[in-house]
Amino acid sequence: MILTGPEIAREAAAGRITIKPFDTSDVEPNSYGFHLGPTLLTYDEPVLHPERRARRHTIILPTSGRTLLPERLYLGHTQEVIGSDHYAATLYACRSISTLGAWITFSAPLGHTGAIVAWTLEIRVAQPTLMYPGMRIGKVAFWRTRGTIERYRGRYEGSRTVVESRLSAEFVRHENGCDP
Amino acid sequence: MILTGHEILREYAARRILIEPFDVDQLNPNSYNFRLGEQLNVYRQHPVDPRQPNPVTPIYIPKQGLVLRPHRLYLAHTLEAMGSDHYAPTFAARSSVARLGLFINLSASLGDIGFHGQWTLQLFAAQPLRIYRGMRIGQIMWWCPQGEIVLYDGKYQGSTGPCASRSFQDYTDDSEVAS
Repeated sequence: MILTGPEIAREAAAGRITIKPFDTSDVEPNSYGFHLGPTLLTYDEPVLHPERRARRHTIILPTSGRTLLPERLYLGHTQEVIGSDHYAATLYACRSISTLGAWITFSAPLGHTGAIVAWTLEIRVAQPTLMYPGMRIGKVAFWRTRGTIERYRGRYEGSRTVVESRLSAEFVRHENGCDP
Repeated sequence: MILTGHEILREYAARRILIEPFDVDQLNPNSYNFRLGEQLNVYRQHPVDPRQPNPVTPIYIPKQGLVLRPHRLYLAHTLEAMGSDHYAPTFAARSSVARLGLFINLSASLGDIGFHGQWTLQLFAAQPLRIYRGMRIGQIMWWCPQGEIVLYDGKYQGSTGPCASRSFQDYTDDSEVAS
C-alpha cells in the first residue's frame, strides 16, 4: 500500500519517516515533493569503469541557474534528508520537470528501508535546460512493507550530498587486474 | 497492493475509477492499456527554463503515422481521460513499446489520487520510430492507499492534450518559492 500525503505527514510527525527539512506545503496527495540541492557532479572520463572511481568535478548551481546539456550525465542530490526505518521509498521526477524533458533517476527509483539520506539523483536532459538550486524537482512515495525489516547498511549510508558510484568497492583486485 | 484487471473493471463499473472512453479489451492482468492521442507538442526554444513559460509548437500525427526523431522530446497525451479519487495511479510504457526503444515518461511514473484528465506523456525515442494516433502505447496501474485521502487540486487538474510544464507558475511573484 502507498501512503497518502496526510499519512506521510503523520508518520513524519511521529518520527517514523524522516524528511528534513519538512514543509507542509510540499505534501502531495500520495507523495512528498523534494527539491534539488546545490551541488552537482559530472564525470570527466570518456569511458567509465566500474572497478575504479571515476575522475569527476563538482558544479555548484548559482542562484541565477545553470544550463544543463543533453548527452551528459549529471549527478545531483535532494536538498532534504529523506528515509524511513519502517517504509520503502520510491523516487520520481515531478510532472513539471519531466515535461521539460528531464530525468532524475535512471531506472533506479527504489530507496531501501533504513536508508535515511540526501538521495543522489541521476539527471539527464532531453534538451538544454536551466536548473536552479532549491527548485522543486521530484517526489518521493512511501510503501508499506511486509515481512521482517532488515535496515539498509550499505555504502551510501549517511550521505548528506551527492555521491558518485562506489561500485568499485565490489571488485576484487589482484595482480592481473580485478574481478567483479 | 496493486489492483488486478478484474478489480479495475469492478471499480470502473462502480465509478471509483474513471476511464473515458473505456474498452474492456484494453484490460491487462494488473493494468489498463491506454491509447495515444493525436496531438504532440515540442518546445520551440532552448534552453527551456522552469521559471518561464516555454512556448511550444503543436504537431498532429497524420493517419499514416509520424516518425519521431531520436533523442528529442515530444509531449504527447493519452486519448483517454483517467483518474480516481480512491486509488493512486502509476503509468508505464507497454513492454512492446519499450522494446522499440521508446520512453513514454522520464522517471515520472507516479500520478496523484484525485487527478482527472488526459495524461501528458513524454515521448523520447532511442532510434527513429513511427508512431500512430490511437495506438495502445502505455498502461495505467492503480494502488491501494493507506491513510486519509486529500484529493489532487494542482495546476494540471482537468488537462486535455499534451500539457507543457507549468512550473513557472510556482515562481510568478514570490521569490521565496523560488529559493
